[in-house]
Formats: sequence, C-alpha cells, structure tokens
Amino acid sequence: MNLLVTMNSVRLSYGRWPALDNVEMEIRQGEFLVISGPSGAGKTTLLRLIWMGERPDSGFVEVSGFRSDRIRKRELPQLRRKIGIVFQDFRLLDSRTVFDNVALPLQVTGTGNRTVQKRVISLLARMGLSHRRNAFPHELSGGEQQRVAIARAMVAHPVILLADEPTGNLDPEVSREVVDLLLEINRGGTTVVMATHDPRQVPAGKGRFLFLDRGVLRRADRWTELDEES
Amino acid sequence: MSLFQSSLREISLNLHSKPGARLVTLLMVALAFIVFNTFLIISWNLQGLMNREENTVGMEVFLQRDLSQAQGRVIGDNISSIPDVQSVYFVSPEEAEALFRAELPERSDLLDVMGSDFRLPASLQIVFEDEAMTQRRLSELARQIEALAGVDEAVYGEDYLPGLLKTVTTIRRLVILLGIVLVSSISMVVFYTVRLSVVRRSLTVDIMKTVGAPGWFVRIPFVVEGIFMGVAGSAGGLLLAAILSKVLSGAVAHRFMPVSWMTMVILLGAVTGTVGALAGSYEKER
Repeated sequence: MNLLVTMNSVRLSYGRWPALDNVEMEIRQGEFLVISGPSGAGKTTLLRLIWMGERPDSGFVEVSGFRSDRIRKRELPQLRRKIGIVFQDFRLLDSRTVFDNVALPLQVTGTGNRTVQKRVISLLARMGLSHRRNAFPHELSGGEQQRVAIARAMVAHPVILLADEPTGNLDPEVSREVVDLLLEINRGGTTVVMATHDPRQVPAGKGRFLFLDRGVLRRADRWTELDEES
Repeated sequence: MSLFQSSLREISLNLHSKPGARLVTLLMVALAFIVFNTFLIISWNLQGLMNREENTVGMEVFLQRDLSQAQGRVIGDNISSIPDVQSVYFVSPEEAEALFRAELPERSDLLDVMGSDFRLPASLQIVFEDEAMTQRRLSELARQIEALAGVDEAVYGEDYLPGLLKTVTTIRRLVILLGIVLVSSISMVVFYTVRLSVVRRSLTVDIMKTVGAPGWFVRIPFVVEGIFMGVAGSAGGLLLAAILSKVLSGAVAHRFMPVSWMTMVILLGAVTGTVGALAGSYEKER
C-alpha cells in the first residue's frame, strides 16, 4: 500500500505545554487507523497536523506529497481538497440547508452545477438523508447531523478522511451506526483516521490502533492492548 | 456553479447577515464624510472666489500730476506694448472727477472742499490677458509699470488677493490633513467592523478553509463588505452634506462641490473601505 501520511520527529507545543513529543508515524493508503487516548492527549492536534491547520515546531509532516516545512500558503487549499474532516460538534453551517452544507466543498472549488447536484443527491441517498435535503441543521437529530458532516467530508472524494471524536456527542446506538458508516467508507478505498477516547467502538481486527498519552505515541494491535496500556 | 457565482453567493450571504453593526459603521462613516465634505465645499467656494477675483481684477495706473495729456497717452502706448496687456484706457483728470462724482455721489463734497484748482490725477485703466491673471504675474507687471517714468503708482487687488490666496491655501492644506485623518480613522472603523464580521462568521471561515476554499474566496465577502461600507457611507455623507448645503443656501451664498469632486469623495470611501477590510480580514496562518 502507498504511503499517504508520514510524521517525522514531530514536536509541537503550546507555550510551555508540550502537545506532541517526537511523534513518528506512517499512514498507508486504504488503512483504517484508530488513534485513542484520554482528553488532552494530543489527538486533535495530531489530526490538525495532518490537514496542516497547525505546523510542527520541529520535524515535518508529509501528506500526499505536501510537506509541512515546504508547503506554501497558497498550496494549502490544494492539500485540503484531498482531505475530508469530520468534527465531534459536526460544525454544520446553521443558515444553510443540508444540501448546501454538503455541496460547500464542491462550490468553493467551482464545480459545475450539474455535477454538484448529481454528487450531493447521490451521497445523501447513500447516507439515508434524501428526505432531509432541504432541512436546516437545527431540525436534525445528532446522528443525522453527523451523517451530513460525513457527507460533506466525502463529497469531494478525498483520499483521506479524518474523524475527530465523531461519536463524542452521540448515544451508543447512533455511535455504532456512525462507526459502521466510517468502516463502509474505508471499504470503498478511502483511508480513514479516527480519533476517539473510546477505541472499543471499533471492532477488533477492523483497523490499526495507536495510543497517545500526553503527546507521546504508542502502538497496539487491538484496543484490549490499549486498555492495558492506559 | 462557477467559482465566481459561488463567491457572489457568499458575498450576498455575508451582506444579508446581522446588519446592525454594519448600520452603526455606515452612520459613523457618513458623519465623518459630512465633516470632510463641509471643508471641501468651503475650499471649493474660496477657490471659486479667488479665481473670479483674479479674472476680473484690472490695474489702475496713476500718473504724476505734472504730466500733460499727451505725455500720459505716450505712457499708455508704452504700456500697451508690454506682453499680457490687452487694453489701456486713458482717464483724464476731468473724466476722473466725473467718474468720482457718479460713483461716489455722497463723497462729491470732498472735491468741492478741495477747491476749483484741485485736479484728480490722470490715470490709465489696464485690462490684462487671462493668462496674466495670477497674483505673481500681476505683481511683476505692477513693478514693471511703476518703474516707467511719469508713473506715480500702479494699484490692483494686492491688498486683499494675497490674504485670500493664503486662506485658500490654508483651507486646502486643512482638507488634505483632514483627508488623511479621515482615511485612517474610517479604515480603523471598517477594520473593526470587518473583524467582528470575521469573528461572527468564524465557523463559516474555518469550514471554508478546511474544505479547501482558496484564500481570496474566503476573504472576498469581507472585502466587498468593506467596500460597500466605504462607498455607501461616503455617498450617504454626500447626500447629507447636499441637504445641509440646500438648507443653508439662503443664509450663506455658496455652491455645492462639482461632480468630479463628488466622484473623488466616493472613490476615497471605496479606497478607505478596501484598506480597512483587507486588514480586517487578514488572518495569519500558524
């Protein structure tokens, strides 16, 4: 499998607070990677480094040919078009309908109207949200909102999907549905990186597990080992 | 939807959201422009007055009393040959007296008191070409004419023209200074309004960035917002100044500024708004 993300001796701190310490990591194309750890362990920071919302203080991150120490500001949009991001708090735009929220990544790149219509409608159907296309985010349940957020992240066919605590605001049953959706997306060929404080949500054998503890990355093959670590 | 259409949509969404803060800014920009416009109108009217005075001013050359009329006419002929002199008219002592009595009838008794031997001096009334109607050229011509033999004194508007010119220059400098202060202060007001707008729409901005929107696409709605505030504010300021001018026209005779100056005011508003908005929408990437 091709190498999609490389982190080389990455260090990042916020003031005197070290967020990530000497992180070495590789993510291959098609992987389902689970990064777990307690709150404040650095999971979100690690994901932000991948979409280059942050740059390391030392070391570098390379994503799909873009290196954090060499990338120019005007190249950031090109990188981010290859990445889909899902947040714990959904981050849907309240004043826009489901359709417009999902269409946004295509509209900001000047995709033609017909293609936008076709892709958004087909994706909403896959997500079981066709009947909600004209609804506004506040009219949706938590699970529906997260599915809209996943649709928005997937509509531009990213090579990697970053999900930051995607089940953090959902009840267990809906959480399972969201994890199943992420696994299905991964089966379709998209690399998925999921940050979660509860790795038990991902069935053993369905992915690779990493554990972050106060900015230091540890490895494990399955969540039971992570349990022992923590 | 093309990128252009998408950006127009974002601009429209931004302009339609929460107009309260924007209205306050518009009012502040308009009020600042009323002050600026008032100075512009004063400057415009003083400049007009200056131009009119310069264009209508002639020169009266008083000849020495012992000269004959023939000698006076010779001096007139000499003056006619000076460049920039359009015409010379000889006014004899008799004609000068008749003019004095006609123009100042209430003072004509002064001539009677002086006695029948008293004669007003003969003079030459000179009209210059338009190109010569400047303070500097008139001053040069006066010196040149006064140096001629037989000339006692050359008089033109030198008593009030320099003062008027100084006032016009001072007002013009004040307008420039006020313009600089205005551009900086309005830019700051627009800067903070756009900054507030960016904070208010921070989720939209964040999401746009994470989905790969180009930098200009993210900033353009805020820049347009700034231009809109600058243009609408300056146009509002012009309108209010025009109303004020109309109201005061009965009490103080004046003219409103010309179209070219109004266009300049609107352009100044646009530039000010753009500068403020560009600065306000700028975000440093870590």
